[in-house]
Amino acid sequence: METERFDRTVTTTCGYCGVGCRLEAHVRQGRIASISPAADGPANRGHTCLKGRFAHQFTRSRERLTTPLIREGDGFRPASWEEAYARVVSELGRIRDQHGPDSIAGLASSRATNEDCYAMARLMRAAIGTNNIDNCSRVCHSPTSFALRKSFGLSGATGSFDDIELADVAILIGVNPTQGHPVVGARIKQAALRGCKLITIDPRRIELADYGVLHLSPRPGTNAAVMLGLCHVVARDGLTDAGFIAERTEGYETLAELLVGYTPEVVQEITGVPAQDIEQAAHIYAQAQTGCLLWGLGVTEHKYGSEVVQLLCNLALMTGKVGKPGSALLPLRGQNNVQGSSDMGALPDTYTAYRPVSDEDTARLFEQAWGVPLSRKKGYTIPQMFDAALSGELKAMYIFGEDVAQTDPDTAHVVAALEKLDFLVCQDIFETETSRYADVILPASSFLEKAGTFINAERRFQLVEPAIDPPGGAKTDFEIITTVSRMLGHDMGFETPWDCLDEIASLTPQYAGVSRERIGRHGAQWPVRADGSDSPVLYDTFFDNPEQRGKFAALPYKAPGDAADDEFPLILVTGRVLQHYNAGTMTRRTSNVELVDSDLLEIHPQDAERLWVSDGDLVSVRSRVGRIELEARVTERIQPGHVFTTFHFPETRTNLLVGQSADVNTSCPEYKVVAVDVRPVAEHPAYVPQLAGVS
Amino acid sequence: MQLTVDGLQVQVADGATVLDAARQAGAWVPTLCFDERQAPFGACRACMVAVDGTPKPVPACTTLCREGMVIDTNDPASRRVARTVVELVLSELPSAPAPHTELAQVAARLGVSGSRWSGAVHPVDHDLRHPYLAFQHELCISCGRCVRACDEVQGAFALTAVGRGFEANVAAGIGSGFLESSCVSCGACADTCPTDAITERLLLDGSINGGPPPEAPRLRERR
Repeated sequence: METERFDRTVTTTCGYCGVGCRLEAHVRQGRIASISPAADGPANRGHTCLKGRFAHQFTRSRERLTTPLIREGDGFRPASWEEAYARVVSELGRIRDQHGPDSIAGLASSRATNEDCYAMARLMRAAIGTNNIDNCSRVCHSPTSFALRKSFGLSGATGSFDDIELADVAILIGVNPTQGHPVVGARIKQAALRGCKLITIDPRRIELADYGVLHLSPRPGTNAAVMLGLCHVVARDGLTDAGFIAERTEGYETLAELLVGYTPEVVQEITGVPAQDIEQAAHIYAQAQTGCLLWGLGVTEHKYGSEVVQLLCNLALMTGKVGKPGSALLPLRGQNNVQGSSDMGALPDTYTAYRPVSDEDTARLFEQAWGVPLSRKKGYTIPQMFDAALSGELKAMYIFGEDVAQTDPDTAHVVAALEKLDFLVCQDIFETETSRYADVILPASSFLEKAGTFINAERRFQLVEPAIDPPGGAKTDFEIITTVSRMLGHDMGFETPWDCLDEIASLTPQYAGVSRERIGRHGAQWPVRADGSDSPVLYDTFFDNPEQRGKFAALPYKAPGDAADDEFPLILVTGRVLQHYNAGTMTRRTSNVELVDSDLLEIHPQDAERLWVSDGDLVSVRSRVGRIELEARVTERIQPGHVFTTFHFPETRTNLLVGQSADVNTSCPEYKVVAVDVRPVAEHPAYVPQLAGVS
Repeated sequence: MQLTVDGLQVQVADGATVLDAARQAGAWVPTLCFDERQAPFGACRACMVAVDGTPKPVPACTTLCREGMVIDTNDPASRRVARTVVELVLSELPSAPAPHTELAQVAARLGVSGSRWSGAVHPVDHDLRHPYLAFQHELCISCGRCVRACDEVQGAFALTAVGRGFEANVAAGIGSGFLESSCVSCGACADTCPTDAITERLLLDGSINGGPPPEAPRLRERR
């Protein structure tokens, strides 16, 4: 330890993306002075990215919330914790008594710890009496969770990032790891440089395409056809693992019939991907000894996103590339704890480990543990919450660590819903677009100020330890949630988050062996058995469903929810860049803004020329539901006919453009296919969209 | 395979280096250009050790183990080489390396406090254009760790070794600085640098002077 430069060093887990880098946070005079990667971090192995390493200045931003705020007229006034708690508890209590528990909904956060999310779910279920609890994985990887449970049984990656280095081939579909998951992106790039054959599938030519053997650029929303085409070639050319199909799977015959129609030529027609590329990709993957499939939100955030994940599972099952070292399906989960927040049951239909709220045995188990009767009725998903608010059925929301007014689709709809609520509590580290509509704002803590656990994209529980104190009067999320619950009459009885972790383990067989000590420095990948042994590889001998077999899904290609037409001739895809993190609440308050300070619209030179747009010009982007203005970036990374932008800066209001089309199984929004019209704008300054109630 | 380090029996896997074996035996071998995240480079010659049967000291980081090898990490000739290497490196620096740096720690452990040689030192040359990464070119000892971190760990290929002899140094891009290069600001270079020739700007600005870490930038005004 460097005693001369730092007062102390705390090993913790990064709170940015789902890679789960282990970090050493170096503290000086109560502030984070520096962060370096932990040499023994299983996912990051002594490396991290600019967000994990450098983007910590937000912790000491002058804009941090340091005292509760209560709405007064058009603004907010500082209030004591006693007053804020009293207000939250009396309003939630009044609304529950007047309108019933289902008139209240809570949002847990995929940025928060497992213990925070579990406590929030318990607050809604036990203290309020409703299953109206959801988290932001709804709008990113809920289709992955749904599909993996359908096809294989468990909602998580089948292997670990270590499988990437063991793979002969890796297919990356709808994921841009060097931007979104930089440390895994670096590992993939190094694997490619050492000979792993990369096949990238994305409408944009992502950086890793330059290191791969083949890049396919399907039209947005046609991933299903690409997957069916790959499976067609594998079946047609006899490249299946017949033994694996016979012994380990079921439903292949039905799929095989469906595949007959998806010839590479048919697929070329639908996707725009040359037939010979489909053939070549299928051959490279199927003929390799080992192969990994990696995907991200480019797969899930579609009308049929969950079905595409099932089709990905088909490809792995047909070729026997699952459950073995070097052959893994690795969804790159977006946020640091998007895996854990869902695993913890912060979902409207499941308790921990995805046990349904309608399941009598599970409900009784939790009733016994919590000492209150529990609802068997499914709660609202996030989009349903906004619809219910607008229809007047939902009266109050308690949102923590999530900025729905910036990140959820169809911003105007979200804002109208928030305005309609009788009572809104926001618990966050900064004022956000969402907190503008709050009645009470509670100042909370960042990942560097709290204790607990995160679960990364490899299903690995990792410890989070506080390096610094929350600023001013801010409190940890765990303390706030458990206090509100106690004041509502339901005392959870937790002294610390570690007590909560013990309860989670005691009530969840899949996490039975999890404890602070067992997780230690190296983490534990669930299922964790009571003896503490964990599971780096799933399905090596059987799949986790009653039949113990992998399930093929015969799902045909269906067109996406939106399509280009004469009025809206271009397709907009939204995503992220390396330098910023989602709503940018944190990264916009660091020097990362010196590197990237605005959202840009990527457009192909052909489209730019046709529209008289030059690099750096201000353009107007109009969709069926909204209009924004931003600067154009002319680039050949994007295909003609497509445009791309990010949603990191609230002033852009990118999500005004996204409509309400959503995944058919999970209501994950279709952020990736929005028909738009782009035109140059002559005048400066830019047009700023105005929303109801925002001055 | 089985071998002996400073009289201790050690079992190592095929492909292990003498440095791996020494570390497994708990022996300290001075290194400057070695980083376990990178392939062995063998440039600095600080890690010399004696191996039975070879007439001269060998570099531990690039010498592969052989069955029955007898390694002496405290060999006086090897240590003399290491001390000389460190002295020569120090002789080119305009000021002593900061105490927390690996170079300072290796020098201290070898008992090297200054240099017998005087002469030209690198001119002070700082580049503070990047918000997080700072060059202090005068501290560069051409160990190549930053370049290899950029290539072998991150894969950004933003750094290059430039110049020869006394002029040897490191550059981002074609000397245009981090911001104009393919740098992705991951900081792996600063993390591995044994001298702070590349270091964290935030540490230079704040705590290195004894004060608290600097304030966060204000959120930009809404347009």
